[in-house]
Amino acid sequence: MQRFFYFLPSKQDYKKKRGRDALITLLLLILATALSFLYFDISQNSANVALLYILALVLIARITDGYLWGIFASLIGVVCVNFLFTYPYLALNFTLAGYPVTFIGMLAISLITSAATTHMKQQMQMLAERERLLVEAEKEKMRANLLRAISHDLRTPLTSIIGAGNSYLETGDFLDESQKKELVKQICEDSNWLLNMVENLLSVTRIQGGEANVNKSLESVEEVVSEAVIRLKKRLPDAKIHVQVPDELILIPMDAILIEQVLINLLENAILHSKSSQPISCHVEEEGESIVFHVRDYGIGIPPERIRTIFDGTPYTGNPSPDSSKGMGIGLSICKTIVAAHKGTICAHSCPQGTDFSFSLPQTTESGGSHP
Amino acid sequence: MNTKISIVLIEDEKNIRGFMAATLTAQGYKVSTAPTAKVGISLITSGCPDLILLDLGLPDMDGIEVIREIRTWASIPIIVISARTQEQEKVLALDNGADDYITKPFGPSELMARIRTALRHSNRLQTDSLLNQRSYRAEELMVDFEKRLVTLAGSEIHLTQIEYKIVSLLAKNSGKVITYDTIISNVWGPYADDNNRILRVNMANIRRKIEKNPAEPHYIFTEIGIGYRMLEDKES
Repeated sequence: MQRFFYFLPSKQDYKKKRGRDALITLLLLILATALSFLYFDISQNSANVALLYILALVLIARITDGYLWGIFASLIGVVCVNFLFTYPYLALNFTLAGYPVTFIGMLAISLITSAATTHMKQQMQMLAERERLLVEAEKEKMRANLLRAISHDLRTPLTSIIGAGNSYLETGDFLDESQKKELVKQICEDSNWLLNMVENLLSVTRIQGGEANVNKSLESVEEVVSEAVIRLKKRLPDAKIHVQVPDELILIPMDAILIEQVLINLLENAILHSKSSQPISCHVEEEGESIVFHVRDYGIGIPPERIRTIFDGTPYTGNPSPDSSKGMGIGLSICKTIVAAHKGTICAHSCPQGTDFSFSLPQTTESGGSHP
Repeated sequence: MNTKISIVLIEDEKNIRGFMAATLTAQGYKVSTAPTAKVGISLITSGCPDLILLDLGLPDMDGIEVIREIRTWASIPIIVISARTQEQEKVLALDNGADDYITKPFGPSELMARIRTALRHSNRLQTDSLLNQRSYRAEELMVDFEKRLVTLAGSEIHLTQIEYKIVSLLAKNSGKVITYDTIISNVWGPYADDNNRILRVNMANIRRKIEKNPAEPHYIFTEIGIGYRMLEDKES
């Protein structure tokens, strides 16, 4: 029962609730009495009057919290029926035949309804709580996955940097010039990769408080795309990328640095993991209310069971050697975070040849934005 | 070279200072280094260097303050060194008188290119103002400031008045980043709305006229959140 602790209302809430329950009980009882009088006036039959009270009773037990109000109402109901609608009128007579049956019946109905209601409410709370815990667990799992992926991905290049550095320092005398150069080149490559990873992680810190809290301004799509391509080519000079943007200028609200990061991550994945020498195609399309960015490679493709969870940040376990690729896990899960923070969607589709990664961004800000 | 070009490098990270000084010395520059702004400023006032490399994140003084202080008495070119995500700081530094910036991490070739550009511009300002009127040439693009003519591979490009103003401003400062605000106040006047939407629209039109593929620009590059940079003039 400890988990219900969160749902216990504060003292003030409790008082308010009690006042509300008392009011409902009173109103329903008055209503039932008024209706009974009306009915009794017309038909002179007291048998159905009890039914009216029972109806009120069921409603009270259903609406109010706990057993108290139901029991209270059933007592009042019994007294009212006895006092007002059975002979002798306007007098209490507890010796009437069958009276205890009416009383016990009404009490039982009230108790059962209250119990059922309370039980139902508890179950609803339990369900809500369970759902909340599930969401929490899911988040926790994603965080843990991300952390695992990060530590794994960071360790691999660090190991190689330290190894190369150490072998240069310790066995440098026995190495020839080209071997030394190779070691330094390796250090450079791995540190560049590490830097990109750190920039990815840093970019996530620009998203404060998760959902849709990015610093958006109107940016030109073609400028963001071209900047992303130029920055990537600086790091991977041999990359072949075909870029195409719509003929008209498109300005959409976004955090350009973050969207650039998404494009770079997608392009880099396409180049490094597609295992194809065909150029990557990067194009932008206008689709109704949103702008869709596509990054398409013509490589080996991605197995279907992998593509479903590709944005979740889980390291790919199907890979025979765990260290063979510097994971694409983190990069893609960061893409998803960034796109989600822009209220956009990201997805991956397998094509007959290669894979198409695309993400869409809404053209308009619903809040009106920070721009004039 | 009989007198070496002297550079003051103000950077608090020892390793970065070390590698930059080594690179610059290897390229034939005379480098004095300073770990703090105070030391750096005294080096500048005593030595009058040809160029200053300034890290924005210094322990004892805000980099912007250093620029302001130097700019009160000298027009020595200043290149700011900063991290990628600090757009605001870069713009502030440029608007306060820095000549250019370079984003960490950078390779030696990029650093050298920035230094050459900055030195070339400062020489041009000091020696002969007529040089400023010489036309701009880079690959197939030519801007003749006297005839107000822009040609691409020999054929004339028709630009509107505003477009020409933007292109010529960038061409005169080729190789250097020019902030949105600088372009707007130069083209539309100092009281123009600082909404840079109209600038983007004009830039998109210019790109469609001079670039083969506007998404893969060859001549005018975007520095997101900061401004534009035009391909450096090749005949210098």
